[in-house]
Amino acid sequence: MKKILFIEDEEALQRAMGDALEKAGYKLIKALDGEIGVSAALKEQPDLILLDLILPKKNGFEVLVELKKDPATKNIPVIVLTNLEGSSDVERALSLGAMTYLVKANYNLSDVLGKIELILNHHEK
Amino acid sequence: MGLWQCPQFLFLIMGAVIILAILTTYAVAIKYQDPEIAALVVLVLAAALFLVGYLIVRSFEKVALASKSKSEFISIMSHQLRSPLSAIKWQLNMLLQGQSPANASQEYLETIMQQNERMIRSVNDLLEVNRIEDNDLILRPREFSLKELTSKIINEYKNYASAYNVRVAFKDGEELMKIFADEERLGRVIEHLLDNAIRYSTNGGNILINIEKQNDGKILWKITDEGRGIPSAEQRRVFEKYFRASDVTRFQTEGSGVGLFIAKSIIKQSGGEMGFSSQESKGSTFWFILPVKI
Repeated sequence: MKKILFIEDEEALQRAMGDALEKAGYKLIKALDGEIGVSAALKEQPDLILLDLILPKKNGFEVLVELKKDPATKNIPVIVLTNLEGSSDVERALSLGAMTYLVKANYNLSDVLGKIELILNHHEK
Repeated sequence: MGLWQCPQFLFLIMGAVIILAILTTYAVAIKYQDPEIAALVVLVLAAALFLVGYLIVRSFEKVALASKSKSEFISIMSHQLRSPLSAIKWQLNMLLQGQSPANASQEYLETIMQQNERMIRSVNDLLEVNRIEDNDLILRPREFSLKELTSKIINEYKNYASAYNVRVAFKDGEELMKIFADEERLGRVIEHLLDNAIRYSTNGGNILINIEKQNDGKILWKITDEGRGIPSAEQRRVFEKYFRASDVTRFQTEGSGVGLFIAKSIIKQSGGEMGFSSQESKGSTFWFILPVKI
């Protein structure tokens, strides 16, 4: 079963995403702040990481930097999933190594799941 | 913005000063043969030009800053509204597709309700800012107990506080401390202050709320946290509308930047005063003083 790490402090989003991923046959690992997110990525070695930007303890950009610096986590694809939409935020996230940048409010869960599937399939090859 | 901060007006003044400078230099040069006097006049006029030029640059900076905080505010506010909106959207996705586990529907609906409440609050805050700016903040004072109101709000924030690993203690005076003010709005003030104290306690800790009667009969309400505090360079701007602390904090906490602006305006309108003291990475104390009767 593929493991997906969701670094997001909003419980409601965690639950909805968790239920949706479970239905689609994935396993969700929850991280409610940036610090837990980084250590969970290292320990659990997920197949993909969904990352919010505004996070307690360590913000999403800091998390991204740490993930990409560590050889043990740098190849895990990261989808930034946020409600920030400043062009500088998007650019910064992509230049730090995020695979794609999705605005939560603009995507249905099924769309996000579609993206996850796409990236996972692509990444395997 | 005053006339002396308006770039267009300053340019007009600058033009006038330049014309005046040329004419005066001409007149002086004709009248006096002394090169020293002409040089002195030119020097004085050049200084005047420098001053106007400086004022113009300053006023442009002000305009730029205002529009920057405005666009920052719009991006923060849209984020504030989008967070609950996306939570509602995803939960509705699950409910509509009938994909939620058996007993989850009720929980989803309850969370949707909470998120909805959050959005209403954000919009109400915006409207309140508008009322304050239009000098249209009408208070509806009546007698109530500040102690009971505070306890009620602390109770409402219990789960939120424990999610942040924060303990909230409340030390009230012995009396009930009845005051005469707009209870609903004062409730918003306390909510904003408590919410900030919790949100900026990023490493947990204690929050202490204190109510006491001062010697002059006024009531002092005080909240002290052990949070990250406010850098001294930013303390000056804390009560400014739309102001939010710098980058690091901005990406670690949510907030619209209008809470303290609203809180201070309400307290001022109620005949009281509000202030704070803060030390970076040690914590902050915010307080307000209210008269018992307005």
